[in-house]
Amino acid sequence: MTVVRPHPTNRIRVAVLTARLDGIVRKMANTLHRTGRSGILTIARDFSCIILTARHELVTAADSLPIHTLRGPEVMSRTMTENHETLRRGDAFLHNSPYHGCTHPADHSILVPVIDDDGVHRFTVLAKGHQADCGNALPTTYMGAAKDVYAEGALIFPAVKIQSNFEHQMDIVRMCQLRIRVPEQWWGDYLATLGSARVGERELLALGRELGWETLDDHIQEWFDYSEARMVSAIRAIPKGRLTRSSRHDPFPGTPPDGVEIKATVEVDPEAALIEVDLRDNPDCMPNGINLSEACSRSAPMVGIFNSIDHTVPKNEGSFRRIRIHLRENCAVGIPRHPTSCSVATTNLADRVANPVQCAFAELADGLGMAEAGACIPASSGVISGVHDGLPFVNEVYLGCTGGAGTPSTDGWLTIMHVGNAGMCYQDSIEIDELRHPILVHSRRLMPDTEGAGRQRGALSAYSRFSPLGCEMTVAYVSDGNQNSAKGVRGGMAGGPSSQFRERRDGALEAQPGCAEVVVGPGEAIVSISCGGGGYGAPRERSPALVADDVREGWISRSRAETIYGVMFSDDLEVDKAATARSRGLPA
Amino acid sequence: MIATSISEKARQPTREPFSAAARLRFAIDTGGTFTDLIVGSPEGGIGMHKAATTPADPAAGVIDVLQIAADAAGMPLYDYLGRGEILVHGTTHAINAIVTGRTARTAFLTTAGHPDTLMFREGGRQDAFNFTVPYPAPFVAKARTFEIEERILRDGSVRQPLDKAQVVALLRRIAASDTEAVAVCLLWSVVNPEHELAVGSLIEHHLPGVPYTLSHQINPSIREYRRAMSTALDASLKPIMGAYMSGLDTRLREAGFKGRLLVVTSQGGVMDAADVAAAPVHLINSGPSMAPVGARACRPSGDVEVLIVGDAGGTTFDVSVVRNGRIPRTRETWLGRPFASHMTGMPSVDTKSIGAGGGSIAWLDSGGLLHVGPISAGAVPGPAAYGRGGLRPTITDAAVALGYIDPEHFLGGRMRLDRAAAEAAIRTEIADAMGVSVEFAAASMLELANEHMVQAILDITLNQGIDPASTIYVAGGGAAGLNCVAIGRRLGCETIVVPETAAALAASGALISDLTAYYQAMFYTTSAAFNMGGVDAVLKALELRCRAFQAMTGPDAEFVAIDWTTEARYPDQAWEIEVPLRKRRFDDPSDVGALVEDFHKAHQEIFAVSDPHSPIETVGWSATVRCRIGSSVLGRIQSALSEREFANRRVYFGATGWIDARVRRFETLSPGVVVEGPAIVESSFTSIVIDPGARAHRDASGALVITVSE
Repeated sequence: MTVVRPHPTNRIRVAVLTARLDGIVRKMANTLHRTGRSGILTIARDFSCIILTARHELVTAADSLPIHTLRGPEVMSRTMTENHETLRRGDAFLHNSPYHGCTHPADHSILVPVIDDDGVHRFTVLAKGHQADCGNALPTTYMGAAKDVYAEGALIFPAVKIQSNFEHQMDIVRMCQLRIRVPEQWWGDYLATLGSARVGERELLALGRELGWETLDDHIQEWFDYSEARMVSAIRAIPKGRLTRSSRHDPFPGTPPDGVEIKATVEVDPEAALIEVDLRDNPDCMPNGINLSEACSRSAPMVGIFNSIDHTVPKNEGSFRRIRIHLRENCAVGIPRHPTSCSVATTNLADRVANPVQCAFAELADGLGMAEAGACIPASSGVISGVHDGLPFVNEVYLGCTGGAGTPSTDGWLTIMHVGNAGMCYQDSIEIDELRHPILVHSRRLMPDTEGAGRQRGALSAYSRFSPLGCEMTVAYVSDGNQNSAKGVRGGMAGGPSSQFRERRDGALEAQPGCAEVVVGPGEAIVSISCGGGGYGAPRERSPALVADDVREGWISRSRAETIYGVMFSDDLEVDKAATARSRGLPA
Repeated sequence: MIATSISEKARQPTREPFSAAARLRFAIDTGGTFTDLIVGSPEGGIGMHKAATTPADPAAGVIDVLQIAADAAGMPLYDYLGRGEILVHGTTHAINAIVTGRTARTAFLTTAGHPDTLMFREGGRQDAFNFTVPYPAPFVAKARTFEIEERILRDGSVRQPLDKAQVVALLRRIAASDTEAVAVCLLWSVVNPEHELAVGSLIEHHLPGVPYTLSHQINPSIREYRRAMSTALDASLKPIMGAYMSGLDTRLREAGFKGRLLVVTSQGGVMDAADVAAAPVHLINSGPSMAPVGARACRPSGDVEVLIVGDAGGTTFDVSVVRNGRIPRTRETWLGRPFASHMTGMPSVDTKSIGAGGGSIAWLDSGGLLHVGPISAGAVPGPAAYGRGGLRPTITDAAVALGYIDPEHFLGGRMRLDRAAAEAAIRTEIADAMGVSVEFAAASMLELANEHMVQAILDITLNQGIDPASTIYVAGGGAAGLNCVAIGRRLGCETIVVPETAAALAASGALISDLTAYYQAMFYTTSAAFNMGGVDAVLKALELRCRAFQAMTGPDAEFVAIDWTTEARYPDQAWEIEVPLRKRRFDDPSDVGALVEDFHKAHQEIFAVSDPHSPIETVGWSATVRCRIGSSVLGRIQSALSEREFANRRVYFGATGWIDARVRRFETLSPGVVVEGPAIVESSFTSIVIDPGARAHRDASGALVITVSE
């Protein structure tokens, strides 16, 4: 392959230009974050902002959620142009169709075509936000048990025009308001998302006028070439190999009784500078809500790939030229056919794709890849709903979800949430949650000895316990990892599993299934435990000083440090070097 | 306690032995590279001096720079300092102590069930695919965290009473340990402080002499992580900042200073050293908070304009804003990299700092793309041009290679630079690899550094909803002049101002800033059913605290005003914005209407949208009391006797190539004289590049005003 070495003058322009394009995306994100109404957008920041070329090439999605952005936006943008022959300035499109590039129906997205002063379509900006409610049959955006899209119940918008000439199509707005719980909140969030896309449009128009559209386009193509060249050198630094790794999702309604085994075959070809991931040898779509949309089937393996290689390689159309993802129609981790439900596409099975991919890289060579991150979505990050003082409430809370995987150089990032989120979402403030919802959070704490032990260890599990105050509360969640906890790699161990309970008034704990809507009465509580992350490398290779630190901090018990990590202590909890060497079978 | 070890004389005015005419005011800003001093004299003239910062013992740098000023005045230091009326000090000592882990061993006491607040933080992460950045350790180790049996609810009601016996047992354990300070942050203490107060008095009894901080007192605001951070930071800084303040006080007094020692706070005001030692969390952003005050002073018409203030030093570029005379605050200040460190939780002047300065190193990645920073050559070895062993090309080297900095007259000739070394570094590391000339590479380095600075500016203007094209760019810092025209053009600003005191902008701000105290309280109400009586009680209580502060500011201080603000939002929004109150009381429903109107306007200004039919909710109330000490007008620099002019020289611009530029001395440039670019305006402290097409003149304040348009 040849990458044309462009003129150095252009290289400088390209460096400056990319900083400006990232700046535009950040500006879009700031607008959405600060003006949205629902907690999921304004507190948890569960949204993404993206710029695409008019040819549907991903330019940048700085500071966004990986599972939201790597692939899919190009299909959404293409759907917009295919369904609407003429695009005009002032148009905006609502899109949440998992059959047309969107992640899942909860992710309402606004697409705005950027039309230059001569009427030419130059770019498309996309703002995508997870809704507090999207009008499903049950008050949750995660319908894990829905047998198809009809059982889900959300309205599906395959790039439907919602603004013409900057005016809302109120018919569509009224339809949404009749279907979506808390319609005022939805309206506020819609305005924030639209505002974000309009900000991106305004900035790109200014940039195009300043630089000239052709020049801008040339620079972007050079940016893609540069990114491809970076990807080529990154792949050439990886040993050649082909590996199949698997990861199993817990049994859920509609799955086989032992859950769903997902196999990912990763092939790295340094000579051809190509990475391929084959997901075709996997089960067909299932009569439940955890099937992946095409966007998630393509993004999840790429999350695993980009987690495994030089992180400075830009993620855009250019570097993507060096990746091939092989999917199959009607496959649970492939391309779903309508009316397959993809309600929970961004998390559960998507993680079961990304995790084995990064583990495969870890098996290729020490220093590459990552262990498995913990599965989600535990009840502590579920959707709570109810009626308090005659007023309905519904929102997703983020009360303690951990799960970061051990990596070649760092311990698991505590608040990673799940592999596709990469820790980009925020965790709620207890006081803010108690202020906004009729709940009392008794406890949120980390649990000792739940880390996936390793040279670099996984994150600990989080324990949360909360109750409704003065009403009943429904907690809806889709908690994978009860049975299949996050695996370690290269001798690293698995993290702790997740679990969830309803605590009765008398204190009795009733175990709850992994996928459920649990009604919690006044005086009762929900107890939720999140997954720990898997470890990277053998625990006995972990620095004794780091183990001692974990013991002093109470993250790891002394007995676990001795038996699993082989680190021995004196009575004042100093490392006994000689005993440790003996225990680890090393010369003292 | 710590605070009282500082001379209480500090508050007293000093009338003798000098007459009023002989009294001097000092403002000293200790930065990463230089310690800047601005001296104000009663005649209105000011002097500007610089000395190297001495990180191991910052007070030494303070004494050094005063010695330089005394030498310039031809007086012994003792006599010179004896003329000092006040000394205002901006310091990075607190943030340095935090970053280098030299704070006190602190115990953290919190509500049972929630021991890991400092560990969870508020989540969030930057750069999704970069797993080389480790998760930050909690600011107080888990091993020093203790759970207290108690629980208060959001309405202030006590769900579980405080178990005093348990607290006492805990405090006995702490007393037996090596703990040096205690931080207490209980859930909902901002609504009902009774449990925190009870724990406070138990600490006084069982840990006598151990400094402690209660969260509802240091930072009465909602969101337990931020409040806990403020509390832990404050407690952990008390021993070291108490020692620093009393040490500085002692050394200044030994050196002859008899006046009042004041310290710059994160909120852009000053406080007596004794007060600040008792609440040192206010010092964390002490350095950068003064640059906008200095910028505002040289732009008196700034009450009808928006100023963007850039402070370009050796290692960082700090941006702040002055909006219609007001300096916006933020509560999101990080101790290090956003999301990879911790927040202070305290309101602070809204500044954004990036690692881009004269010392930032340029490099090429494996794909041949140019990068500048974030690695810095620092003071040692410094840029290649310093000739101290630095081999990697920096922004300073690029400026030397392009002819922007005269190697013979750097820092007024006190340091000679090596142009050949600068060019060699650029050639070896950048130009040859890219196949371009040294000057092209150097110009590219500057252009990229400019873009980073522009993005930092856009970040902060974006947060404040400001269109930079409608602003004036005020360039401060020693490296300010190198790229101010380029930055101004990129932002679309018509006018750029380089203050006479640009090279010590923060110190100049400190010289004229007011003695301030900031008080806040939580109180929720909505415009749909405004609780006027409740709000009135809150405002009254705040005013009492302001008046109490005013009463103890001493006879030198003159009351200026109390600024009132509220933190408000639309229903369901998670983030509040700060709205100034027109009056100190809500007497009439029309006052509520005025607040609602102001809120819609502010929301529109910041976010370009408003919801004019919606009610608003207010959650926080604050009062900032300001008392003037000395003058609020910055004087003019007293020019040295006979400054000689410089010869013209060849400089390089991307647009023109090598071109002859006039070189003018800043100090001798008369008002009304217009300098046409290409030109360089040089002072002893900075070199200002006037690009082709731009024009510059000095205004009445002595500032250089540059018009960028062709």
